[in-house]
Amino acid sequence: MEKDNKAEFRRALREVKNLPTLPGIVAKLTRMADDPDTTTEQMGKVISKDHILAAKLLKLVNSAFYGFPQKISSLSSAIILLGFNVIKSLIISASIFELMESSDVELWEHSLGTAVAASILAKRLGIKDPEEVSTAGLIHDIGKVAVKMELPEQYDEILNTVEMKQISMAEAERLVLGLDHAEVGGWLAKGWFLPKKLVEPIACHHLPKKSKEEPLATAILHFSDVLIRGLGYGHGADIWVPPLSKVAWEELGLSAADLDEVLEEVEENLWDVKGFSLDIQAELENKSA
Amino acid sequence: MARLLFAGEVLDSEEPSLILKASGYQILSFSSSQDAIAVVLEDPPDMLIIDKELPGCMDLLNAAKACLQKTNMPILLAVEAKGLSSLDWQEYSVDDVLVKPVDSENLFARIGLAQARMGRVFDNNPLSRLPGNTSILQAIQSTIELEESYGVCYVDIDNFKPYNDRYGFSQGDDVILMVARIIVNVMEEVARHKSFVGHVGGDDFLFIVPEEMIDETCKRVLAHFEVVRNLFLTEEDVEAGCYVEKDRQGRETKFGLLSLSIAVIPTGNHEFSHSAEVSNAASQLKHFVKQKEGSNYVIDRRRSSKS
Repeated sequence: MEKDNKAEFRRALREVKNLPTLPGIVAKLTRMADDPDTTTEQMGKVISKDHILAAKLLKLVNSAFYGFPQKISSLSSAIILLGFNVIKSLIISASIFELMESSDVELWEHSLGTAVAASILAKRLGIKDPEEVSTAGLIHDIGKVAVKMELPEQYDEILNTVEMKQISMAEAERLVLGLDHAEVGGWLAKGWFLPKKLVEPIACHHLPKKSKEEPLATAILHFSDVLIRGLGYGHGADIWVPPLSKVAWEELGLSAADLDEVLEEVEENLWDVKGFSLDIQAELENKSA
Repeated sequence: MARLLFAGEVLDSEEPSLILKASGYQILSFSSSQDAIAVVLEDPPDMLIIDKELPGCMDLLNAAKACLQKTNMPILLAVEAKGLSSLDWQEYSVDDVLVKPVDSENLFARIGLAQARMGRVFDNNPLSRLPGNTSILQAIQSTIELEESYGVCYVDIDNFKPYNDRYGFSQGDDVILMVARIIVNVMEEVARHKSFVGHVGGDDFLFIVPEEMIDETCKRVLAHFEVVRNLFLTEEDVEAGCYVEKDRQGRETKFGLLSLSIAVIPTGNHEFSHSAEVSNAASQLKHFVKQKEGSNYVIDRRRSSKS
């Protein structure tokens, strides 16, 4: 019986089409797109701060139709290859939350915070392409948005379970759906032909020991996720900090002194994130004013 | 099965779309331009039929024109008969018009005609969909006849042959497509209406920009190429900075990784009367550029109007 349900949930989630994002960010980008002096790079910088639009951009550039399936993992490359007009069309066609809840903003902040932490760790650990790990950090919770939009009844049940049983959202999802948002995010990314280097860290970010090909990137993403949650930064209805995996911690090989420095750098950078978040909210107020 | 996308209120009855469906067309119908743009972006149709009065009509037209892969998609605009003659076709760059109310007979003929015309499309390169040699020579010819000075820029991928041998021709095609997209997107952003891009063939491209934009466009093309290039190389090759392959004589030779060379011929001092002279000048300059290591562009300053 449970297996049948799982197949049904899977089918529903597969059909997910136009995931919504924050109206403020779309308003800001629309304003930028109408300004003839805006450059593609400037728009790219803003898109790189939104997990939904970033995922859409990667989906688009990796679709068979644009000719580079499973190749493009970097947002700056995607922007160069798609060009201004395609990005403008992407923004026009973007859908926004009709009823925005504070948890939507928090999940967005959490995603951006995780990307910031992942970028700092990737640079520190000498990863060749830190942007790639940071991008995985940005879109790692895309599965949560898909569950919320496609399975609203089950999503409410998951939220109740989180509160009642005092467990993490991933655990509650496994109880209710038989799968968790990491798995969902993983196969969404795979179905969108995103490169394996992004798919595996996303799919394994709650169970890093399952990562076979990208253990270090997965460990960085897992740790960044836990770290940002631990700092109390944007939980998005997932109120309990998930446990840190021993496997991932050993993979990172960080000392206590390293950790202090990482923490300091992350906290410094989170101020920028907060600033951007306020900027986005102001954008919305300007628009409605 | 051809997919037709109808955006807005093109048809006032069910009948025409039923006939189209019965004739094997797949019909996609949208009442909002936002939804239609999403489809054009993610899964483009074979033909677009747009109601001129649809809010966001221009955005949809721009979306359809934006991408290389879609340059062959015919666009039909449905309009009211009144005011038809005063429409600005530069603004509405569509392939045909349908006058409302649209009857089945007329619609059917126009769709068939648009498809047939598409099959006749002249010399576009099948891979990049960019204009080929006939259009390129025409573009050069009309450029040298202009009063203002332009730069005719020949782009060539260095070490493309050994790349193809090492990675296979399908990956080689991806690199060609990447370069095509980079050039088109830079032109779109920097030079918009004042530029031309063509695909000479293989790994050779050409673009034409006003002389004052030569430096900016060349620099951007090369910088963007540097950002994207490594995604098309294995980590080992990037680390080694070169690859060893057999050369044309079968000897093992070290080749540099992919790079771009651009040879720029300014038309400013009006010494050219025929397009062939420009390509001759370019091929001489190209040998010089290619001797330099890595990605470079060289402008033939002797011919610059500002020397």
